[in-house]
Amino acid sequence: MIRSRISATLSSAMLSLAAAALAAGTAAAQPAKTECLAGAKPGGGFDLTCRLAGAALHATKLIKDPMAVSYMEGGVGAVAYNHVVGTRPGDSGLVVAASSGSALLIAQGKFGKHDENAVRWVGALGADFGVIAVAPDSPIKTLKDLVAAYGKDPGAFPIGGGGAVGSQDWMKMALLAKEAKADPKKMRYAALEGGGAVTTALQGGHIKIAAGDASEMIALHEQGKLRILAVMSERRLPGRFKDIPTTFEQGYTIDWPIWRGLYVGPKVSDADYNWWVDTLKKLKDSPEFIKEREARGLFAFDSIGADFEKRVKTDVARFKQLAKEAGL
Amino acid sequence: MTDTSRNARLSGRIAALALLAFALVYGLFGARIEYAFASDPIGPRGFPVALALVLALLALWYLARPGEAEEWPGRAGLGAALAFLGTSVACLLVFDHAGFVPSMAVLMAVIARLFGAGWITAILGGIGQALLWWLLFGPLLGGNLPKGLLGF
Amino acid sequence: MSFDFLWQGFGVALLPQNLLIGLIGCFLGTMIGALPAIGPINGIALLLPIAYTAGLPPESTLILLAGVYYGAEYGGRISSILLNVPGDAGAVMTALDGYPMARRGEATKALAISGISSFIGGILAVVGMTFLAVPLSWLAIKFGPAEYFVLMVFAFATLGSMVGHEPAKTLIGCVLGLMLTTIGLDATSGAYRFTFEQAELHDGIEFIILVIGLFSISEVLLMLEHQLKGTLRPLAVSGAYPSWADIRFIWWPSVRATVIGFVIGVLPGTGASVASAVSYTTEKRLNDKEGTFGTGDMRGLAAPEAANNAAATGAFVPMLTLGVPGSGTTAVMLGALMLYNIQPGPQLFVEQPKLVGGLIASMYVGNLLLLVMNLPLVQLFARVLLMPNWILIPGITALSILGVYSAYASVMSVLIMFGIGVAGYLLRKLGFDMAPIILGFVLGRVMEVNLRNALALSGGDPGILFASPLAIILWIMAGAIVILPWWLRRRARPTAVPAA
Repeated sequence: MIRSRISATLSSAMLSLAAAALAAGTAAAQPAKTECLAGAKPGGGFDLTCRLAGAALHATKLIKDPMAVSYMEGGVGAVAYNHVVGTRPGDSGLVVAASSGSALLIAQGKFGKHDENAVRWVGALGADFGVIAVAPDSPIKTLKDLVAAYGKDPGAFPIGGGGAVGSQDWMKMALLAKEAKADPKKMRYAALEGGGAVTTALQGGHIKIAAGDASEMIALHEQGKLRILAVMSERRLPGRFKDIPTTFEQGYTIDWPIWRGLYVGPKVSDADYNWWVDTLKKLKDSPEFIKEREARGLFAFDSIGADFEKRVKTDVARFKQLAKEAGL
Repeated sequence: MTDTSRNARLSGRIAALALLAFALVYGLFGARIEYAFASDPIGPRGFPVALALVLALLALWYLARPGEAEEWPGRAGLGAALAFLGTSVACLLVFDHAGFVPSMAVLMAVIARLFGAGWITAILGGIGQALLWWLLFGPLLGGNLPKGLLGF
Repeated sequence: MSFDFLWQGFGVALLPQNLLIGLIGCFLGTMIGALPAIGPINGIALLLPIAYTAGLPPESTLILLAGVYYGAEYGGRISSILLNVPGDAGAVMTALDGYPMARRGEATKALAISGISSFIGGILAVVGMTFLAVPLSWLAIKFGPAEYFVLMVFAFATLGSMVGHEPAKTLIGCVLGLMLTTIGLDATSGAYRFTFEQAELHDGIEFIILVIGLFSISEVLLMLEHQLKGTLRPLAVSGAYPSWADIRFIWWPSVRATVIGFVIGVLPGTGASVASAVSYTTEKRLNDKEGTFGTGDMRGLAAPEAANNAAATGAFVPMLTLGVPGSGTTAVMLGALMLYNIQPGPQLFVEQPKLVGGLIASMYVGNLLLLVMNLPLVQLFARVLLMPNWILIPGITALSILGVYSAYASVMSVLIMFGIGVAGYLLRKLGFDMAPIILGFVLGRVMEVNLRNALALSGGDPGILFASPLAIILWIMAGAIVILPWWLRRRARPTAVPAA
């Protein structure tokens, strides 16, 4: 577990300046040392979540010393989950990165023996959204065309996503297949190694339909290398996405937000849990946080504290239902 | 000479039988991997089962022609190897509780002793190495090593 | 395409501040690489936020990170050669001939050869990247699951060279390596295979745990045996550098390995471990007439080293031109670009000439700096071996434990490493080579996943494996690598007969 200690020592000089400003306020319940645990290698989504939290908390001076980031790879966060529940359940300074993918794995019983009630969910920092894309010259122009094609023969065209059968990308395609009353098991689905491999395979013509996340597809969409059919969201996304229709606009009430958030151990006291919740609430509308969030390709996703607890639990229930319907 | 090559053949044959047994167990587990469904015709069981079959055939080949093998160590060698492995496992089991420096100091000292250091040199060398590695991977590189008893 | 970006780039890279940043990066990288626990990914992940917070311009940040990246490629082989503890995935094949050389007393020479062939691989690959980056991105796109599968068939065909006088053992080793890759989450169906409900096993056996166990723990056990027999002699360390004849000897193997390594590096689905493995087996297939590979042959050391650095450079091509990382490290660097709001793509060369040019120019400068920096340092590093065994061997054990523990933070992983070490010891005593196990492990996963993905995409029709011209070329290459050495030998024989 390598911590970004070097950054801590370097920035401590800057921070001593800020310390005076910090003397009053939230210091009462603030943990002495904060650490964010990413349940994967550096560079992935969990790392991004931790770095976003760390950078924004640092920039807004909501914590005294910079937050350390540590890594514990294994089972897409499962090892970290078990570690926190088993070894550090009461560590009030430790937050752990999670995503809707974690909820999906919990729903499928792939997080070991613990369920979604084993930890305390603090809040979401932002979200990405699922997208469906095709090659620019594809005969499929809208989501309606795609659903119609599914209706005719779900095994007629090769599809690619960045995860195995049962993963988020597979689920996105399965939901659309279900709209056409087609059997998702008949899809010609290849599980490629991450989003980059999916867009490359689409450009190379190895797959005809791609499932992925908005932030990793938008640049190629703008360059005309692929065409996003729909963003899987209830409301239209701002900025570069303002011209891309959503699933809801095209008549399908399916959305797929990929939220990124944090949880703490089960034995963290109410006071410490509430400190984290209040801190995230203060954080979410600060200009520093919004800048850092947007730099990382995430959209606003408002769900903190009890609301987030509810969100995670409904997600897990929803994913369980989906998995059953898809025949997993 | 004939004696050693007979020994080599014997250990080769034992190894071949062990590999055969492993292929069997691996193949049985492989054939019973649980999954909902696969989008490809091979599925998650295909490779393991095929590999088990190939390994079984190769093990039979190996059984028939065991070839060469090195002499095994005597009782003293076995004792030393067990001392090395036993201390390693014991120190690792208490690693998280006792902490990096104490458990590594013991392990380093035992290994130094096994490689010919006197007791005093071994103990001093063990403590020295444990501190050196802790310093390098802990404070200097920012690794998160278990603190344990000594509190650092 | 004009090469304006390159001239602008040299202007950027040769600015005193960037030269200094590059030097710092190279030095940090060498140190980070020398410690087996910390690979370039971690080093870069550590430095990126610092560079960003310190307000470095994007090109300086990239120069710093790239310096760490290829510095680590130079530094990573030190523990491989001296201690048989491979520091990262690309340094495993280095140990096969590098470690025997060091045991023979040629540690200085081995380290210097590694530095020189790394330089050849690095610099030629940068030249390749300068002129071919954009056209090569086409190759990365054209490689689909079917093509990756046939590439692995080619790789296995080069493996024929590993078959020694006991083919059963070689093949068993290879199958054992393949079996290890089936542990963990099945990337295609999402099923858990051989995990026995342990979350630690969900991602399978990590490569670095396997190689440290197989190489260094088994080595300690073997040395312990020699110690008791009294046959463990102190090592000699000759300070001699390689001669010009030595460099000529490794020149062509390094160049061939560079080509292989660069192409494999450009493909996002394969990395430095595949590159060094394939270049090693190819070189052995073509050149190992006396059977010296694996016993300290300089060509067997130079080939994977050149390939490994060429692959590290090649991995930048898809990252810059397609926004697709070719390795874990370039994935972190891609994150750096995004942090600066820079969109990768072919137009990057036109839109950001200072950035791309600065990066490429810094690679020329960096490789030169590293060569110059490494050659004198080699003497110092080689001296490590002069320490008495009662210091050196506990040190090897400590590095092995720390290497695994720092990366996975779990005692369980370290225990697994020791278990693998014991298995490795038993196999070595029984006359098994470690190389086939490693090759099976490196190639197995890529092969299975891509075969199954190809068949999933074709709806079960195996015709997809022969459908594209690229796939057919790769089939022909695989056939050629099997037939060519045999054919060459046949041609050589008639000339030998009259002489006899």
